[in-house]
Amino acid sequence: MTQWHEVAKLRDLELRKRTAVTVGDTTIALFSIKGVVYALADTCVHEQRQLSKGAVLFGKVVCPGHQWKFDPATGEAEGQGQCQPVYPVRVDEDGTISVSLSRAGAMR
Amino acid sequence: MTGPRAVVLVGGGQASAVAARTLRRRGYDGAVVVVADEPHRPYQRPPLSKEYLTAGDSSALELLPQAWCADNAVEVRTGVRALKVSSADGCVVLDDGSSVRADAVLLATGARARRRPGLGADRADDDGVYYLRSRTDADRLRPRLAPGGRVVIIGGGFIGGEVACAALARGSAVTVLEAGPVPLARAVGPRLGAACARLQWAAGVDLRVDTAVQGVRRDGGRLLVVTSRGEVEADAVVAGVGAVPNTELAADSGIEVDGGVLVDDRCRTSQDRVFAAGDVASQPSPGAGGRIRVEHFDNASRQAAVAARNILGEAVTYDEPHWFWSDQFGHNLQHIGHAAAGDRMVVRGSLDGDAWTAFFIGGSAGGDRMTAAFALDGGDDIAVARELISMKVTLADDILADPGADLFAAIEELA
Repeated sequence: MTQWHEVAKLRDLELRKRTAVTVGDTTIALFSIKGVVYALADTCVHEQRQLSKGAVLFGKVVCPGHQWKFDPATGEAEGQGQCQPVYPVRVDEDGTISVSLSRAGAMR
Repeated sequence: MTGPRAVVLVGGGQASAVAARTLRRRGYDGAVVVVADEPHRPYQRPPLSKEYLTAGDSSALELLPQAWCADNAVEVRTGVRALKVSSADGCVVLDDGSSVRADAVLLATGARARRRPGLGADRADDDGVYYLRSRTDADRLRPRLAPGGRVVIIGGGFIGGEVACAALARGSAVTVLEAGPVPLARAVGPRLGAACARLQWAAGVDLRVDTAVQGVRRDGGRLLVVTSRGEVEADAVVAGVGAVPNTELAADSGIEVDGGVLVDDRCRTSQDRVFAAGDVASQPSPGAGGRIRVEHFDNASRQAAVAARNILGEAVTYDEPHWFWSDQFGHNLQHIGHAAAGDRMVVRGSLDGDAWTAFFIGGSAGGDRMTAAFALDGGDDIAVARELISMKVTLADDILADPGADLFAAIEELA
């Protein structure tokens, strides 16, 4: 049974399209890209930078520290052979965003 | 066509690591052997001139942890050198007398520090003159960057700046000797080089420009750097004057070499089923206007990923803007692309300030296009520049120059 954690509301993502939330000890970066909410581990898999301070360009999340470009759905870092952990996201009708720490949503 | 069943990755750096990871992630289940001539397991080099040099923290260095290698059946052989690659014989010959079966090989042998004649440092024992390329080099240099010590750095390039920063952090007094009128003139031009010089001076580095080094003199126990402007006394001298590609293995294997191992846009060398990536590879680059050998982490990663996919029978090419970063004096510097002489420069922010980006725009028959960008604490702008360079377009100069303009929104409107 997946355990969901309520972490934010859709309106929190309206303006800047990104935010950082925490579940227990885990900091998660939320991105709203073309109406879909994605959740990735906030600390960049490459170096200790925060993805939630990154930018979204053409549907990819760009970490400004070292320019790694991540697929928000799979966490795959383009051309790097590494993956940022991603988390399943659920958005309720009232705009409540929940994430699960299970890696079931991770592609690899 | 059947794919390879045994891939050998020669070199213990970023390119081999990315290739190993890419092979496994793409579902390749044959043998993978990494051959590294250093005594260490594969590690990444960028921290060697930054946090690893300052603090010795090795936690971020390792590229292919033992547990990952065990799970993914990747064999790492350290302390052994590859002598010859032969696709005809299907093996890589090692200097311990053994050989490893290979039906595809990646040459990722990297580069070594360029030696500057007249400095000494040719003996194995410590004589006070250092180069920085390997983990061993960093471990030898670190204790010489001591509180109160006088560290003299030859070369005002990116490595010089990073070593200066580490030496200051460890309490040394730092002098940087730069032969040109500003540091980094060749890399980023005189105006941006001058802005980088201001960073060094502001941090407390005694940066001396127009100062050519003629040699190092030992007077009793004293170490004196002889320059065109007199002698500078030092407790430790660090030379950061470029790198030389490790092409011997390729040359000894009959593979074409010319200032690097020659590869095509798919990272293929002149020998069938032998590929090259990273600092050692010389590849045609339309963006750079010709063949180029790039000594940067990001290029090593991207070339290696492309090489690995082609090893598995794909046909992917590599032509992305070259990108690198440097961390120094509390700032993050990033550069992308290749500017040509005569490109105009558009500055976002003030070059006297704490954060700025310089965009380079070239004109051509098809209209203006961005060719390069260099930023101080402007990683977001570099992301924008990467897209513009790849799209072969630019934005209006007044938008680029306006720090209040949202470049991400502007670029998405272009698409």
